[in-house]
Amino acid sequence: MDSRYQGGLERITMITDIDNSWKRDSDGLGVWEHRGKVAIAGFGHSPVDRRWDEVNLETTLGAYSLLACKQAVEDAGMSLDEIDGIVCCPTTISGDSGGSASNWAPRPYFDPPYDTEWGLTRVNAQWLIDNLGLKNVKFAPSAAPTISEMVGLASQAVGDGLCNNCLMIYPTGNMAGRYRRGGPNASDFAEGGNQWTAPWGNHGGNDFINIFPHQQYCRKYGGEHDDVAPFVINQHRNGLLTPWGFNYQNNIPQLTHDDYVSSRYILRPLRLWDCDRPVNAAGAYLFTTAERARDAKQTPVYVLNHSQHNFTFKTTQPTLDEIELWTDIAAKRMYEGSGLTAGEVDIFNPYDGYSIMAQFFLEGFQWHGVKRGDAFSFYADDIRVEGPHPLCSSGGNLGNGRTRTAMYTDSIEQLRGTAGARQVTTRAETALAAFTTPSSGGWIMLGKNPD
Amino acid sequence: MENVENIIISYDIDGTVIAGDPPGIITMDMIKRSKELGYIIGSASDRTITDQTQIWERNNIEMDFIVLKHTLPELVNKLKPRQGFHIGDTNMDEYYAKQSGLTFIDIINGDFKAFWEAILSKSF
Repeated sequence: MDSRYQGGLERITMITDIDNSWKRDSDGLGVWEHRGKVAIAGFGHSPVDRRWDEVNLETTLGAYSLLACKQAVEDAGMSLDEIDGIVCCPTTISGDSGGSASNWAPRPYFDPPYDTEWGLTRVNAQWLIDNLGLKNVKFAPSAAPTISEMVGLASQAVGDGLCNNCLMIYPTGNMAGRYRRGGPNASDFAEGGNQWTAPWGNHGGNDFINIFPHQQYCRKYGGEHDDVAPFVINQHRNGLLTPWGFNYQNNIPQLTHDDYVSSRYILRPLRLWDCDRPVNAAGAYLFTTAERARDAKQTPVYVLNHSQHNFTFKTTQPTLDEIELWTDIAAKRMYEGSGLTAGEVDIFNPYDGYSIMAQFFLEGFQWHGVKRGDAFSFYADDIRVEGPHPLCSSGGNLGNGRTRTAMYTDSIEQLRGTAGARQVTTRAETALAAFTTPSSGGWIMLGKNPD
Repeated sequence: MENVENIIISYDIDGTVIAGDPPGIITMDMIKRSKELGYIIGSASDRTITDQTQIWERNNIEMDFIVLKHTLPELVNKLKPRQGFHIGDTNMDEYYAKQSGLTFIDIINGDFKAFWEAILSKSF
């Protein structure tokens, strides 16, 4: 890789080393000190392709990131010269657990700006600064985390005055046959700690992490795995109401109950449709001060709180008790930091990368009064966007592809009142959104009003 | 072999057929030709039945069967073909082909050209 964009980032003074002190990842922090003083003024989405076709340089992960950034700035009615902060997760979503499998190399590179991995399979702040022609960036952390934490980092950076107008970009790449196909996933051996924790090989997902507590859940509260079906089907329905999403753009037929219950198991009881679809796409969001947002083109959406968590497993797989504790803690932190109660959250967009995570979040946050063990019956009720309980109005990853951005964009659109066919008919003044597993990730609370 | 009666050709879609995502090398004309030659043809994919059906309808191909990939064993058990092939691009295709007693044709790493010539000449 080009050293400018890897180890050599420090040569460019705008690239910032950060520690974890910005995080709100402990209990009892009280109301967020910048509550309502930070806002999201714009967002942008690239097209969502199943994969990069490895031919068209206008559809690379880098090209799509540039497009999303420009759209976000335009959406806000601002100019690129106003951008003084940029937060971009430099690790490719397809690389985790896959080593270098998701790299373009060893194949020959192209002409600049695609003469390294940066822009092709990975994107970082420096590449975006160079290729967007940003002249005034003063905050650009080199080790930006995934989107769940980046939304918190961008919010905190603006609140703390490290920058005023911060672009946050989440690129999610995918090339044929390369998605997490390297590293431990490709090995015939379970080396190191894996010999104890994953002797059958690392398949790198929450599939098995969540399956054990999910089955405990079914035993404890009653019900069976396929009771998740109404939720999954509704996620697909909401996805087909999301014009920028994969399902909508690719005319994917609406998933039916028969489709769901007849689909093959990926890891029993997890079915094909319980899993999201990796895609090649980028999403961008423009965080700014509440003051600046009020002069921007769009109705401001205010940040009321953010929090992060990274709980430690006691053993190889979490138990139901642990997951319920962790999600209770996450909810407590978010309600405390935002000053809101469960009854005051209108839009609820938890993560659904595996369908069986959502029930834990729904019950932990007690959205619409759902208590432990109630999720399946709640799913069986009316959770459509037109109905009284519009759960996950975004359609999430399941309905839009594995962008991990749908939850955030939908929350913004619902509060702006611009969600189109997905616009809920219930009140839409506050929204909770996340990319997180029960054990690690983060949440953000948004509000139509700063107070 | 001249008589191909009761011989199955099962097509995976994604990565195998041109209408797939990613597109494969098998064209719609090739599939139509296999039907004209008298083989029992169909698709076996992870795509929903609706999705598969729409693909064939859009291309005016009348399939003899449209199934989910993991139900290939049930199909084969029902049709009891004299011989059969499943053409696909992943280890899941190989797995379910073998579970069904069908010969797996690896369109990525196998000698598909030779297989297809045998199909056209009806010589196995």
